[in-house]
Amino acid sequence: MEKSTNPKKPDLSNPELVLSLLEADQVVAAKQGSRFGRKKLSLRTRVILWGLRIYLVIMLVIVAISVLRALHGGH
Amino acid sequence: MAPREDKPKNRTYSAAQPTTESASATAFGRQLLGRLTHEDLDRAHDRWRVAQARSQGRGALSLQSLRLFWLLVGPGVLVFLGENDAPSMLSYAATGARYGIGFFAPFFILTFAMGFIVQEMTLRLGAVTHRGHAELIFDRFGRFWGLFSMGDLVLGNFLTLVAEFIGVRAGLSFFGVKPEVAIGSALLLVLAVITTGRYWTWERITMGLAICNCVFIPAALLAHPDWAELGRALATWKPFPRGDSGEIVLLVLSTIGATVTPWMLFFQQSAVVDKGMQPRDIPAGRADTLAGAAIAAVVAIAALLATAPLFRHGISAADFQAAQFAQALQPWIGHAGAALFALGILEAGLVAIITISTSSAYAFGEVFGTAHSLNRPFREGWPFYAILLGSACAAAGLVLIPHAPLEFIILVVNVIAVLAMPPALAFLLMLANDAELMGEHANNFWQNAAGVIVTVMLIVAGVGFGITTVFPGILAR
Repeated sequence: MEKSTNPKKPDLSNPELVLSLLEADQVVAAKQGSRFGRKKLSLRTRVILWGLRIYLVIMLVIVAISVLRALHGGH
Repeated sequence: MAPREDKPKNRTYSAAQPTTESASATAFGRQLLGRLTHEDLDRAHDRWRVAQARSQGRGALSLQSLRLFWLLVGPGVLVFLGENDAPSMLSYAATGARYGIGFFAPFFILTFAMGFIVQEMTLRLGAVTHRGHAELIFDRFGRFWGLFSMGDLVLGNFLTLVAEFIGVRAGLSFFGVKPEVAIGSALLLVLAVITTGRYWTWERITMGLAICNCVFIPAALLAHPDWAELGRALATWKPFPRGDSGEIVLLVLSTIGATVTPWMLFFQQSAVVDKGMQPRDIPAGRADTLAGAAIAAVVAIAALLATAPLFRHGISAADFQAAQFAQALQPWIGHAGAALFALGILEAGLVAIITISTSSAYAFGEVFGTAHSLNRPFREGWPFYAILLGSACAAAGLVLIPHAPLEFIILVVNVIAVLAMPPALAFLLMLANDAELMGEHANNFWQNAAGVIVTVMLIVAGVGFGITTVFPGILAR
């Protein structure tokens, strides 16, 4: 790391110093210019994801039933 | 945007090969000269301080090592103390009031251990990939699954924010503050905190607020708990709660939902990225996450102890809201203790409003490619701040609407959080095992085993809730 002339404060006007402190993919311009590629999902993975999604939908319906019972029971 | 692999020059910083090389050391990095932003400068300043502390540290307990930990602590503490939000603290209080000191005390510790296992993965993901959780899901799994994930986050966050404002309103009502004033003051606080334009400052202010979660500890001490009873409960997990099985299962689910929720995954990973953490910071990040979980667990048990007098004296707390707990506790913990309890609910709501709305803003910014950093001044990052404030204002508005279904929201918010976790954990585990992203920092066998166990436990808890709802009394003794 390049040393600043002031040990208590870095010279942020020096872009080389700034870049020396950050990893290459931490720089905003670098991140804006690229994305990670799509991961190929196996059949098993897609089955698991769909299964969990269906589980969530069923559970939300049950939650709604539970809440309606609680609200009506309270009245 | 073009996929990374179409730009061969990007290979020098591909996250598939985690690098400790600084940007200036790579040919691609040097191309970035002249394209640095305010966000980069702020982050570099924070990294400079970390580098200074690291270079001067000698030994685990040296002053500089402690300074290094101080510089790196933050996302873990905030995520766990932010999750000790108003509905969570009320869930903990409800267990003490309904069942006294018993099963739930060690159960809280178990749930926070589960939370640590999950959050540690988000720490590694953020430190290695320098990308937020929402961004990674969209990148690796596509828009279809990304939108599902975002939908869970948006729904959960909105409902939770409403519950937080209810908590703020209830906490301040103990002191005679009108709802409109309470809600407005909370919004002003959120606005004040985000105007710093600096992640470090925002983090320190929010941590200062979050540590006030510990007011439940003196409230617990004023309840003069039976320490021997607590010790027996921690050792034996007894007595088990007795009574309506549906109510017990609901409380178990609420308790789990008070410690592991989807917004935590998105928040901590994005905060780690915004803080500029790097792979070599992972050990300190683990310590930060562990500290957050430990403090939050102690406070959760304190809330249980604070309301245990209601159980001992046979006071029914079945329908208590926040302010009612504080008022009901006055005869046994005094006005000061009750005031501390009310302040704790207020603090819990305030910190959660800040952290949860920030998690929503991070996610939107990552998905739509707009600036998403607390290091951005308002004029540069206005979409990020607009989402942050807008989500808080929308929730606040609902709380002020007469006859709004607030009771419904309080009932379901933690339960929905638990139910939404298994799909969120599936994405998390896949990302944490993605060798192209994580390289040597991908999950090992034990981390995967722990993650799968947590996921299975959440599914079992959810199914248990479903069974007792559809077949009430099936577990009756």
